[in-house]
Amino acid sequence: MAYVATRGGERAIEQSERLFREEMGGFDRDRVEEVKKSLPYLIDRVMGEASLYDEDLAALALAQTGGELYEAVLLLRAWRTTQPRLQVAAPIEQDTLFTHRRISAAFKDIPGGQVLGPTLDYAHRILATDVLQGAPYAPEPVEPATNPSPAYQPSVSAWQAENDLIDPPTNDPTKGNDIPDLTREPLLFPSKRAHTLQSLARAETGGVLALGYAAMRGYGQAHPTVNELRLAEAEIAVTHPDGRQFSAGRVKVSQAEVVDKKGEKLGIGYAATFGWNEVKCIAAATLDLNSPGAEKGSATEEEFFLYHTEGVESSGFCIHFKLPHYVTFQSSLDAMRDAKAKKAGQSKSSDMEPAE
Amino acid sequence: MSLTALTKPWEAMSYGFLDGSAKRELRRKMLKSVAVPGCQMPYASREVPMARGWGTGGLQVSLTLVNPQTRVKVIDQGADDSVNAASIRRFIARVAGTPTTKDALDADLIQSRHRIPEEILREDQVLVLQVPNPEPLRPVQPNMSIARQMHADADYGRMWLQLYEQIVRSGRVMQGASYPSLVHGRHVMTPSPIPRWDVPKLHMAKHLTILSAGREKRIFAVPPFTRVEPLVFSDVPYKVEEHGALTCTRSGTTGFFMNEIPRDDGSSAFEVSDSEWGVKTIRARDGNGESRGETWYKDGEMPQ
Repeated sequence: MAYVATRGGERAIEQSERLFREEMGGFDRDRVEEVKKSLPYLIDRVMGEASLYDEDLAALALAQTGGELYEAVLLLRAWRTTQPRLQVAAPIEQDTLFTHRRISAAFKDIPGGQVLGPTLDYAHRILATDVLQGAPYAPEPVEPATNPSPAYQPSVSAWQAENDLIDPPTNDPTKGNDIPDLTREPLLFPSKRAHTLQSLARAETGGVLALGYAAMRGYGQAHPTVNELRLAEAEIAVTHPDGRQFSAGRVKVSQAEVVDKKGEKLGIGYAATFGWNEVKCIAAATLDLNSPGAEKGSATEEEFFLYHTEGVESSGFCIHFKLPHYVTFQSSLDAMRDAKAKKAGQSKSSDMEPAE
Repeated sequence: MSLTALTKPWEAMSYGFLDGSAKRELRRKMLKSVAVPGCQMPYASREVPMARGWGTGGLQVSLTLVNPQTRVKVIDQGADDSVNAASIRRFIARVAGTPTTKDALDADLIQSRHRIPEEILREDQVLVLQVPNPEPLRPVQPNMSIARQMHADADYGRMWLQLYEQIVRSGRVMQGASYPSLVHGRHVMTPSPIPRWDVPKLHMAKHLTILSAGREKRIFAVPPFTRVEPLVFSDVPYKVEEHGALTCTRSGTTGFFMNEIPRDDGSSAFEVSDSEWGVKTIRARDGNGESRGETWYKDGEMPQ
């Protein structure tokens, strides 16, 4: 007799991966291109959670994993972490964002105007079943406005700061490589401001929403008003070694500011992420708004929400419970059986005690 | 000197997957953790091509320590053939070109999930333990920043209280695996979820043990010849699992940590958990030569 299982593990894992891949079959550049073109909001979400802005790689990750989102994000993160950090782009000011959509719920009108931009907010959510009957879906063409809104807009909070409604955050002069980088350092608490914002930027959308929603429903101290929500494109300005600054391209970004009454002024919560993801930004900004002074262990405490919205870590740990745990289980069984035997022994001896 | 002299040809992947800056950070943190035994050192913990919670902390340490000559053994719950052990072994060999082995005595580096081999490890060997939760105080203090402060103050009162409460309620310490242990008389650490059976193997061991939690981003170490003492009360001695008298139904070996296999008739059979020890025992029994080394446990007892 011998241990026949010695090579079993290797064959089994190989075949199980093949089974998974068989369902999607082979794929090529055309499929990746199709994914990229047809699912821009999914691409955006994945790029945000992966903290890697590359539409082609995001589409590739989705095609390669059959849309298993956690797997796609992990693929991109594992690729990203091996890449050298060549440059730190210049900071982006809000009024330099090429803005597609910018709304405020705090005021009826705002300097620069309410810009609805692209949204499904007012669409009737009716499934286009005709398409399945063979009728192709062609969206109505957009009619250009006679007075297009300006592409660059000031921030609403800048106006509030001018009017003494808000204490603007103090200017952080940290530059370039000195800016704390969450992908190169561990997250420690109390968290550095840069780490908090980076962590929220790459948090898992569903996780941020769950905890943000808990805060909105009343498990937080502050009720958010959307001061400003913006979908935009940001210019990535980097410096050439010879000193010239140039644009490395534009990336889609979304950001949200939410406010709440805090004494005589407004408290502000902020979040931004790669790609257009409004739900995530509003929920994340709500957590940020609620975090100062939050009770330890509450859903709005920084340590609690930053740890538990980290999608790669939370999903990985969740699926790790599929791994065999029989050694730890055996160890607990041993303690339980021994305690049980001790109890049985005790009750037997107490039975024999004479009644008082 | 020209610029080309300073660069190297482009490669799709760094040797051992991790890039130089990640390895440098890990080396620094490993040195720190050796310098302060049992103390948890935070590190960035890069993503690797494996899911968090599946040995990514151990993997990052292994990938940093290996060179093309390092003979690597990977075990999961004691077994080399366990699916995830096979996956990790294959990955290390693929990205670092290391030879692999199943023999604990033959290995330079052993990455393990939740077991320490039954054979005594030597000075020249490194044991890398995968750690799901690096914080022994988690059951009494889930908040990591407070727990960190408690370690700094050596404030372990609640730890002791928890053990005491278990004894009062159940008549014994109910901690199964991950038995909290005092390292070098200063820091309480979790030895990772190894069974209680394995904890005494760490005490004054000749080999270096590095414990790494990838998801939780913490690394800590037990340097060679360091005291590792399970937290016990002087009148309630430390108790390992009662496996000393069990016999493996496959190999016939007795006196080692066993896996319990439920049987149809309601009874249990036992198989030795250290699978390679089982293989070696079978080989010796079948007259294929003796390859077993000296073991920590003798006749099912750990010599004091």
